[in-house]
Order: sequence, then structure tokens, then C-alpha cells
Amino acid sequence: MAIAFNVENLNFYYEDKQALKNITMQIKKSEITAFIGPSGCGKSTFIRTLNRMNDLIQGTRVEGKIEYEGQDIYDKKSDVIELRTRVGMVFQKPNPFPMSIYDNIAYGPRAHGIKDKNTLDSIVEDSLQKAALWNEVKDDLKKSALALSGGQQQRLCIARTLALKPEVILMDEPTSALDPVGTIKIEELILELKKEYTIVIVTHNMQQAARISDKTAFFYMGEIIEFDETSKIFTNPAKEQTEDYITGKFG
Amino acid sequence: MQLKSGWLTMNSKQKTKDIIIRTTTYVTSFISVFVLASILIFVLVEGLPLLNFDIIMGDHHHTYLPGVKIPYTATDSYYEYTPKAGEYYSPRYGVAFKDEQTLEGEPIIELTYVAQNSPFSRAIGIGNHAGEIYALEVGQVFMSGILLWSDDYFTEGGSINPDATTIPYQVSEGAKRFAEALEETFYIATIAPVILGGGIRGSIITTLYLIVLTLVIALPVGILSALYIHELAPQNWFTDFLRSLIDMLTGVPSIIYGLMGAAFFIPLAQSMFSNRIDSGSIISGAMTLSVIVLPVIIRSTESALDVVPKDYKLASLALGANETQTIFKVMLPNALPGILSASLLAIGRIMGESAALIFAIGTVITDDVSIFRQGTSLAVHIWASMASENPNFALAATISIILLVVVLSINLLIKLITYKFMKRFR
Repeated sequence: MAIAFNVENLNFYYEDKQALKNITMQIKKSEITAFIGPSGCGKSTFIRTLNRMNDLIQGTRVEGKIEYEGQDIYDKKSDVIELRTRVGMVFQKPNPFPMSIYDNIAYGPRAHGIKDKNTLDSIVEDSLQKAALWNEVKDDLKKSALALSGGQQQRLCIARTLALKPEVILMDEPTSALDPVGTIKIEELILELKKEYTIVIVTHNMQQAARISDKTAFFYMGEIIEFDETSKIFTNPAKEQTEDYITGKFG
Repeated sequence: MQLKSGWLTMNSKQKTKDIIIRTTTYVTSFISVFVLASILIFVLVEGLPLLNFDIIMGDHHHTYLPGVKIPYTATDSYYEYTPKAGEYYSPRYGVAFKDEQTLEGEPIIELTYVAQNSPFSRAIGIGNHAGEIYALEVGQVFMSGILLWSDDYFTEGGSINPDATTIPYQVSEGAKRFAEALEETFYIATIAPVILGGGIRGSIITTLYLIVLTLVIALPVGILSALYIHELAPQNWFTDFLRSLIDMLTGVPSIIYGLMGAAFFIPLAQSMFSNRIDSGSIISGAMTLSVIVLPVIIRSTESALDVVPKDYKLASLALGANETQTIFKVMLPNALPGILSASLLAIGRIMGESAALIFAIGTVITDDVSIFRQGTSLAVHIWASMASENPNFALAATISIILLVVVLSINLLIKLITYKFMKRFR
């Protein structure tokens, strides 16, 4: 299967502190890749390097190489806007803008210069359909997005990302702020989205990783301890640390 | 274990100490509340009696209306009017007066009633205005220049009597005597009505001009500076240095800004609008005030931007919006309530500023306000009315009431907006 991200010897620093050490991995297209590990292990930092969201934090430094579709994304000539359009991101806490549902979805397309009302209408409907939210909100598109429930807000955020027609969706613990019902809906949605998109998900919840992902990477202290088929990681891990973590001995 | 009896009673030494400390805090806080309350009461007591619509809408300077003559015309019916206390009524002319004083303490006579068909409503202009008909109105006053001819002005045959006598009358003789004199006269040869000044309309308009002009200059500059410092500038020592400089600027005594206004902004305004400005002007005043309110605007806009959740910015950037789009579509609209309260804060500062304006505009109270000329804001009007030869405490207190009411309501409004703003992101 084709490769989406090719990461080689990635080192990442916050000021003097090294947060990622020699990360080398390949993330394949049309798969769900899950990152698991205890808090502060670098999994969130890593997912943010994939669409350069770490650029926004002062005093960070990247060494090594990340290629997306064969292009070095940290190359000086790379267009970070284009990268983030192709590699969308969903955050831990649902963060819709304090605007209407419609305007939330249309924000990205509008930022890219789409003004035509009909085009926007169809993008909004299409994105909400894909995010399995259309039936719940189709009559209140003008309502404030903040009036939705947490789970709905998160699906709205996913829809907002889908509106840009990305190739990859990065999800940074997308269900950690949701109740079980909201979580199940998001998980079903992720499995549905897998048909069209490459998905990378950071999760605290090992069962979640086991339920939905194809590949799982176990991070510990800024390093990848083990990266393999999810079934193998959870049934027959190669490293003792991985086993200790997934059996709940620490973390 | 057995406890000693009385283990629960407070140590008496501690008790006394406690009482002393408490009493001290009560007394000191009472003093400050008392001082504040007495200032408010004092201002209200002094100023309220004068506070009325005429003061607010009136001119500061007396308006001298054209001198008129008023011939007596006999009517079939007598004028009927019951004078109120303090009024003196002339049945012959159908007018009533009372004694008044100017703000400077000069005696004057105020017209308090004019009957519908009174000769006073058909006065005839003299001098340059000869022949024009003027209606004298209630509220107009006479300060000087009344020439009254007695009843022998016309002879029996209807021609002017060359030996006619005048009735000696001075305004200082009072309204009672004037009413009596009117009963004897057949012809008022000159009388000069005056619309009394002492109003603050000019200063109110000047203050409004100053607020608008200052915000027009300071808001864009302040908001853009805040956006730069908060969003665009690299957060390093230099930005921190800039921030502390701005903080320090808020502490600079405003009289120093006034000097800067006199030394820099007056010439600047003059060269910008050559030939139209010859000294201080509202424009130079607004420039000076802009410098004064700029730090306030920058810092409160910055704190408003601080309150906007970082998530919004991240979400916007993750959606492939660039930095400018993020700032203007997400950060700025969400910081808007904060910016609004920043402007209100600035308005309060503008209204209260006096020291700087004395240098930057001057202290000439005008009725005919132009942004190219001198003028006084309400605060400077207070200063000017107290700094004159006859300090006018009542007027100063009246203006103070207006200022206090406006500034206090602005503060309440800021509290309300801030409360709503903070609640929104919680």
C-alpha cells in the first residue's frame, strides 16, 4: 500500500528539552494508525509535527525529515497552508468557532476563497453528511455551534475538517472530552471515514486503539518503542515495555 | 487525656489584639467611604440647583440681541396676569419681571412673562436693525440701556413734545422700580435684551468632538499595535520590553503629555492644516489625547485577545487559514467586546483629562465650536470657571455632576460588557 508519511530520524525540541527522539516510521494511506502511550510520551507532539502545528509554539526546533507524498514538509519552500489543507486536524477538546453551524463548516472553504453560495451550500451539506451530523442539524444550520452537545460539536469539527477535502485527518485524542455515547459515534464515524481518508489518531484509550486502528505505535519517553499491526501489538507485543503498558502495569 | 478547664476560651491578649486590628480596619475603611460620599454629596448639593436644560444647551457667552424701541399702543382690554412671588407686573405693557444676578454677581432684570398681545412682542429694531420687528421672550434679561420717555412724549395734538421728560431708570434699581416706571411711560426708546450666557453647550460639543477625533486616531493605531504585539511579533525580550514601555506610558503624568501637545502637536496640527489654525485647536488636543489613551487601548485590547481561547486560533490555522485571516476573522471578532470596553475606558479618560488639554487646546471657552480652533472640554471648563476672577463654584459643581454621571455609567457599562465577555468563554 502507498505511503502517506515517511518520517526519518525525527528529533523535536521544546527549548532545550528533547520531546521526540529518533522517530522513524512510515504511515500508510487509507489506514488508521493509532498512537498510544502514557501522558507526556510525545505522541501528541508527534502528531502535531505531521501538519506543522508545532510551528505555532515558540522555541521549538525540528531535526530530521518528514515527507508527505514524497515532499519534505519542513523544507523552507513548503507551503504550510497547502499542507494543512491536505492534512487536516481534529483536536482533543471540541473547538467550534462561536459562529453558526453553517459558518463553521464554511470557514475553511471561505478562507480558501470560495464565495459562491451554492458551492458552499453543497460543501456544508456534503461535509455534515460525511460526519454523520446532517440529519441532526439540517434544520438549524443558522444556530450557534456552541449550542450543540459535546459529541455533536466534535463531529462538527470533523465535518469542518472534511470541508477542505483533505487526504489525511489527524485526530488528537478526539474522544477524551466526550461521554461514552459520543465516543461510540465518533468511533463509528472514524471507521466510516477510513474508506476515503488516511487517519492518524492519538488516544489514551487502549481499547479504542484496539477497536478501530490497523496499526498501532507505542510511544514512551519520546521514542517509538514498538510499531506494528494493532492485532500484534495487543496480542503478542515484541517488547516487554509495550506489554507492561497495555496490560496496565504502568501509564 | 484531661484538658485544662477553659481550653476553649480565647487568650485575652489575642482577643485585644484582634479587636484593635478589626477596629482599625473598620475606622479606616469608614474614613475612605465617608470622604467619597461627602465629595459626592457636596457636588450634588452645590451643583444640582443649577443643573437644568438651559445650562446644558445654553451658550457660555451672553448673546446681545439688537436694541429695540417699544412704543405703547393702547388696547381695548387690559392684560390680565397674577404675578408670582418675586415677580413685578406692569399691567400697561402686560409684562412681568424679576430681579436676577449674572454669574458674576451683576444685577439684572429677567423677563418672566409676556402677554400675547403685549407691545413687548412687537418691539421695533433700532440702529442697524431699524424697522425690524422683534418679539421679546421670557428668559431674556436686561443688563443696561433702558431709556424711558414719560407720558408727555406726545402732545395733545399727537406730535412729539420737544420738552418731553425722560424717566430716570437704572437696571440696578431693580425690577420693582422698572414695573413702576413702565406704568408711567408712553415710549421705551431703547431697551437691549440679552440672552444670558453661562451655559456649557460649547464645552459639551467640544468634548464630543474630542472623543470622536481621539478614538478615530487612537483606536486603529491601538488595535493594530495590540494585534502586532500579541499575534505577530515574536514573543522575545524585545516584545516584553515594548510591553513594559507601554505599561510605563500609562503612568506618565498627563501634564507631561500636555507639554508634548504644546511643543509637538500644536505645530503639527498647524502644518497639517496650514492657515486654518493659529494656536491650539481641538485637533491638536485630540492628537495629545490619542497619545494618552493609546497605552490603555493597546493593553486592554491585548488582554481581550488573551481571553480568546487558543483553540480558535489553532482550529483556524489547522483549517488552512493563513495568519491574517485568522487574526481578522477569528481573533478580532471574538475580542470585540474587550475592544469595546477599551474604547469606553478611553472615553472616560478623555472626558476626565484636563491638565494636558490646558496646554494642548487652551482654556478659551467657546460657543461656536470648530475643530480648527480652541475650545474647552467639560473638565477644562470646570478648571476655567474656577480659575477666573470670580470662581463659580456652582457651575463647576454642575459640570462635575454631568461628568460624574457619564463616567460612572461608562464604568458600569464596561463591567457589564466584561462580565458578558468572560462568561462567553467559560
